Amino acid sequence: MKFDVIVVGAGPAGSAAAYTAAKNGYKVLIIERGSEPGAKNVSGAMIRDSVISKVFETKDMPFERIVKNVRLIFKTKESETQITVKPKEKLYTVARLKFDKWLSQKAESSGALLVTKTAVTGIEGSKVITERGEVEGDKIVLAEGANALLSMSLGLRRELKSDETVLGVKEVYSSTRDEVAKRFNLQGDEGESWRIVTDYPIPSAGFIYTYKDSVAIGVGSRVDELTQRNLRPFELLDKFKEPYLDLVKGFSLREYSAKIIPEQGFPTFKPCEGNIYVVGDALGLVDPLTFDGIGPAIISGSLAGKAESCESYSKSLYESKEILKVIRSRPLTHELLKSENLSLYVHLINDFLTSWAQGDLSNLKYYKSSLGKILKHLVLGLGVIE
Amino acid sequence: MRIEERLYTLRYKRDEKPHLEIKDQSMCNMCHEKFGSPCIPVCPANVYSFSNGKLVVSYENCLECGACKIVCPFNNIIWRYPRYGLGISLRYG
Repeated sequence: MKFDVIVVGAGPAGSAAAYTAAKNGYKVLIIERGSEPGAKNVSGAMIRDSVISKVFETKDMPFERIVKNVRLIFKTKESETQITVKPKEKLYTVARLKFDKWLSQKAESSGALLVTKTAVTGIEGSKVITERGEVEGDKIVLAEGANALLSMSLGLRRELKSDETVLGVKEVYSSTRDEVAKRFNLQGDEGESWRIVTDYPIPSAGFIYTYKDSVAIGVGSRVDELTQRNLRPFELLDKFKEPYLDLVKGFSLREYSAKIIPEQGFPTFKPCEGNIYVVGDALGLVDPLTFDGIGPAIISGSLAGKAESCESYSKSLYESKEILKVIRSRPLTHELLKSENLSLYVHLINDFLTSWAQGDLSNLKYYKSSLGKILKHLVLGLGVIE
Repeated sequence: MRIEERLYTLRYKRDEKPHLEIKDQSMCNMCHEKFGSPCIPVCPANVYSFSNGKLVVSYENCLECGACKIVCPFNNIIWRYPRYGLGISLRYG
């Protein structure tokens, strides 16, 4: 059997590629290794409507809650500062199984054919080899996720190193819709999303997201930090969630999951070669500052689905605002994630705001010696801004 | 909380054929002595353990995150995806 386009993986990037190609009249096959789209996918997850709607009509998008408040929490062992931001943009929390299924249905209703429960084991030229047989495609899009076995075997990219990889672990606690609303003081569809940056017990970044009738808690840390300190990922999660246990008291644990998050990728990783295109997590497209991987996945997938040639795909990635943001944030994030820097900033934020609140800024003189470093990060930060 | 309580919440369908394999056990023995087997602590699902002088792989607990293959100093883990939609199936994700 022969297709114009074969997409490996029915996550956000794969479904966006398939949807875009099918809409343009191409004969498209999507091959998904999971029992259904979303079954193997893990994230927070919070999405921005303005990005998703660049590719998909979001009117009937299944979301969990509309984010009313984003709480940014900076913590050290002794102190904590909270900043509450009211987002101007439309942000939603989503549950991946429902969300990814919806995306793949969009691709199917534009004419793409979806095959699940099938892992692709190899690619030879235009031949896609699965455990159930072979198919041929003029164009092959690898939307295979962070563990990009095919992209690596084809030499488009290398394996991630432990200092460019974050390991995230997550739990979902469920109760009733009313109880979630009560604990977070929410009305109707409103939701909250918390982002927590801390240097204790190791530099890590975590989140608390409200779903319809449940609450997701997760934390990630760089793999090299975890192994150097010999801290188990679930021990980190236990420590991390200790202060927040009251939020889910009496709720029942419904799911535990883990995921690696790439902090390296395009343009170090090749986006394409000949008829093969790489998109989403497989290309390392996760915004390291905001944890957003779904947005860049959908954008890159759509660009690959549209692209006439490898060259034009490459070019379009460089022209995309969402993709550029990911590339530009990496040097800064790499600096900030170094444990001494992360520690410096969470302490600085806490000391500054505590001093301000208490009306005595004289304590801040201790940061004088770090001024050079702060300036360097500021310059890197400006690279992110534009 | 014990890791078993966490894994108990998950839906797994076991692939009879292990999707994780060790290339060379003697490498693991050397790694255990020299590097303390980093795959054991990094795994969020206790897939790896060292018993009776051997690295044991309980692949049926795997969350398919991929951290073990990144930390393995000798690239000694054959890391594949489970076949036919088997392995973990998440509800929230």
